[in-house]
Amino acid sequence: MKLGNRLREFRFQNNQISQQDLANAVGVTRLTILSIENGRFTPSAFLALKIARYFNVHFEDIFYLDDEGQEK
Amino acid sequence: MMKPTIWQKNISILLGFVSILFFVFAAFYFSKIQPKMIRFDAITTTEEGLLNWVGVGLLFFLAFCLLSLLRTVQHLKKSSSVSFLSIALVIMGVLALLFVFSDVALLGDIAKQYRHGLDQPEWMLVYPIMGFQLFVALVFTYFHITGFSKETQQEFVARDSNIYLVVQFVGVVCGLMGLVLASLGFVYARAWSLVVHTTMSSIILLFPYGLAVAYWLVTKLREENRQWYDEKQLLDVGKSAFLTLVVSVVFMTALFIANYGNLSGVISIIWLPLYLFFVLFLFSASNLFFAGRE
Repeated sequence: MKLGNRLREFRFQNNQISQQDLANAVGVTRLTILSIENGRFTPSAFLALKIARYFNVHFEDIFYLDDEGQEK
Repeated sequence: MMKPTIWQKNISILLGFVSILFFVFAAFYFSKIQPKMIRFDAITTTEEGLLNWVGVGLLFFLAFCLLSLLRTVQHLKKSSSVSFLSIALVIMGVLALLFVFSDVALLGDIAKQYRHGLDQPEWMLVYPIMGFQLFVALVFTYFHITGFSKETQQEFVARDSNIYLVVQFVGVVCGLMGLVLASLGFVYARAWSLVVHTTMSSIILLFPYGLAVAYWLVTKLREENRQWYDEKQLLDVGKSAFLTLVVSVVFMTALFIANYGNLSGVISIIWLPLYLFFVLFLFSASNLFFAGRE
């Protein structure tokens, strides 16, 4: 089981905001956003909530438990 | 008033041309003086005096390397990604910078051996090293004139990741070179000197890494809401530190066992550089590996 996300989808739905702009807004590096999108890195609850707040949605709208996914 | 970046660019171009002219002069000068020194013929006072200009030229090239590296890293700081070309430039710049010290050491050895009537096999190394430095001077001068690669530049980067990666690349280069140099102690055990080969060489090889770390520290200190690492970097650094700890313990134990019969030999003066550079190489390389697993 892994933590899946629709981060890329949300970025494109919100004026195609760049990874760098999102990283600046939530206080991490661009590589961290890239790693989350690729499922290589599971963000902390704090960071995940900051991302959700940035898009003005609930945590579960972006992040979900992927029962079939394998941790990479 | 001219912007600091314009000043930097103009000075870099000027130093670049001075460096290129210096290497052309050095090639001409060495081609005249080398046959005489090999045959132990007397060299004139003018020819000896010109050797001082080689020292001055190397100082100019050292300044050129430092400024070129600074401009490359400044460009990388706000790049959307770290390209192969930018990293190749950083690595070439670091190597050319380190080779300035080997030029001084080689030329010093050649002069000493000439005075004592000994062979000077170091000439074999002087030409390829200076050839590489001339190539680096040409490449950097080209980029100073035409501008660095056209990667997208970000307007604002709240948390740095590019300089962090550059520090790791410089760590890999310095660590690898230090390991090679320290390992040569086993080959040239009789001639190995604690002051020159162990102490001085280690300090010189750590110099570029120190500069890179200092630049990263300055970048971090300038960030608002400073945080040394973000959570992904912290995880990567933790994994790298653990890996480095385990492997370095195995490495040092193996080194101890392999030299068990002769622990008072050359190993007694090279164990520290071997350990330092091994740790630096492994830690930097594993940081790059984990950072690259995007």
